[in-house]
Amino acid sequence: MIAATRSELTRLRQPRLLLTWFGLMALFTLLVNTIMVTFVSGGGSLPPGAPGVAFPTLAEMESPSGLMSGLAAASNMFGIVTLSLWAVVTAGDYSSGLIRLLVAAEPRRWRLLAGKVVALVIVTAAATTVAAIVNVFAVMPAAGAAGISTAAWGTDLVSVVGSAWTNLFLALCVWGVLGLVIAVLARSAAVAISIGVGYVLVVESLVKMVKDAPADWLLGTTLGAVASGGTATVAYGTALALALGYVTLGLVLAGVVFVRRDVTD
Amino acid sequence: MSVVATTELTRRFGPVIALDRLTVELPAAGVIGLVGPNGSGKSTLIRILLGLIRPTAGSASVLGSSVHHPRDYATRVGVLIEGPAFIPALSARANLVSLAHLRHLSLDRVDAVLAQVGLVGRDREPVKRFSLGTKQRLGIAAALLSDPELLILDEPTNGLDPAGIVEIRELLRELGRNGRTVIVSSHQLSEIEAVCDHLVVIRFGELIFSGPMAEVMKRTREHIDIVAEHTADMGRLEAALAGGGWSVSAVGGVLRVAAGAARAADLNRAAAAAGITLSRLVVAQDNLEEIFLEMTGRVDGELANGRAATNGKVA
Repeated sequence: MIAATRSELTRLRQPRLLLTWFGLMALFTLLVNTIMVTFVSGGGSLPPGAPGVAFPTLAEMESPSGLMSGLAAASNMFGIVTLSLWAVVTAGDYSSGLIRLLVAAEPRRWRLLAGKVVALVIVTAAATTVAAIVNVFAVMPAAGAAGISTAAWGTDLVSVVGSAWTNLFLALCVWGVLGLVIAVLARSAAVAISIGVGYVLVVESLVKMVKDAPADWLLGTTLGAVASGGTATVAYGTALALALGYVTLGLVLAGVVFVRRDVTD
Repeated sequence: MSVVATTELTRRFGPVIALDRLTVELPAAGVIGLVGPNGSGKSTLIRILLGLIRPTAGSASVLGSSVHHPRDYATRVGVLIEGPAFIPALSARANLVSLAHLRHLSLDRVDAVLAQVGLVGRDREPVKRFSLGTKQRLGIAAALLSDPELLILDEPTNGLDPAGIVEIRELLRELGRNGRTVIVSSHQLSEIEAVCDHLVVIRFGELIFSGPMAEVMKRTREHIDIVAEHTADMGRLEAALAGGGWSVSAVGGVLRVAAGAARAADLNRAAAAAGITLSRLVVAQDNLEEIFLEMTGRVDGELANGRAATNGKVA
């Protein structure tokens, strides 16, 4: 599996791919922090079921964890970026025909898939780091300009940054696995991205609007809770357990299909 | 010993039979040509041998191991299948390094194969800048990476210019001479004829012929190509010869008569008797293309019998 991971990491060193991935993470971090700070300082609140983002209250912003609250606020947007990039990389093997060479070179297909997952997890860690760094540099001047108190932001800094990074990273890995699963099933990046974005922006938002629907179990809500370290409606432990369930289910499905299905592309 | 052996190998795609109880043995060492019309089952056979798809019935082995366990021979087989496939944004070297990592190979092999296919100096360029021919060379380099005992190359000269074709032809010959077995699937029958020691012909998933190239070429017959001095006389000449019992057919701008050199004078006299002067009379030998067409029929395999858009025959 180490060989497959090294091989995949070599293929992932595409400047345009990495620039797009890290660039989108940085862009969304800047965008969300700017909007979030303006919104929170103005005393606004999001309507229930607002797609993609979940802003903190002013008190939460001014707490020690407020420094990194932009990461959790935009976690679903980062999730869609991650889903898309994992899907592009996975489906790209089919559209380029490279899958034929890879499977012929390493017939133990589960190793190929595991190597791809590990390599993409490594790049996702780097993308999470980019978002965390940009977040710190974006939120401080924005908060200062909006009159939000940043006095508590230095408290327990390592723990705050570390847990924010870890929570976002875990959530993004689940988003990524979802992209990989859909790409393995559909063998198409466009289909995978359409399903992922459509689900978060349309399906999940509609379900949340339905009274008594089990919204807390939905993927976006669960992963939002993981990224936030737990929410009022979904405890962190519950969110992690659900996320683990989603990942396990997804990887088993992708693994079975990838190993058993003919390579006819 | 055979490098590839199949017994009653069958593969269906729904109602379509791509391989129909194919039984064949391919000898070790040398260059083996795998030919057949479109949709004959060549690609399906190659995919089964590489473990990309599984047979519906029958059995097959590669280098003595069953195709159900391709990991037993994967490191001993190099492939170029259905064109070169690489990451366009990466350099030629990075693409090969990626495959070398996957196969647990030393990076020295990357330099060796780049030199072997003449890509030293261009190895740092992104593959997207390469012409089809250069990509094809890179595809062959990738196939050679593990220094395999068996090479399976699908259309290896596709996209190459004449000089490149000659170069790859020499490379294939050299590889075949050095104890390696090279299976070449190609539509370019002149290439197959020039390079191969053994020929396998399949049509609609069935074996038509398998044997030494020399045996195939024994089937060649002489024919005489003739041209009338005046183009307007060609129709009359064909009718006169056919009426005289000659087997004649129009091929391009000439009339091809199934006859050997011994009857050239008789043919010339027959034309003169019809009042037609010949401006050209050439005795020639059939080539592999003519033999192939005789074996497989003069139709595109995929379009035959209204089977467009299907691969093989319908059950």
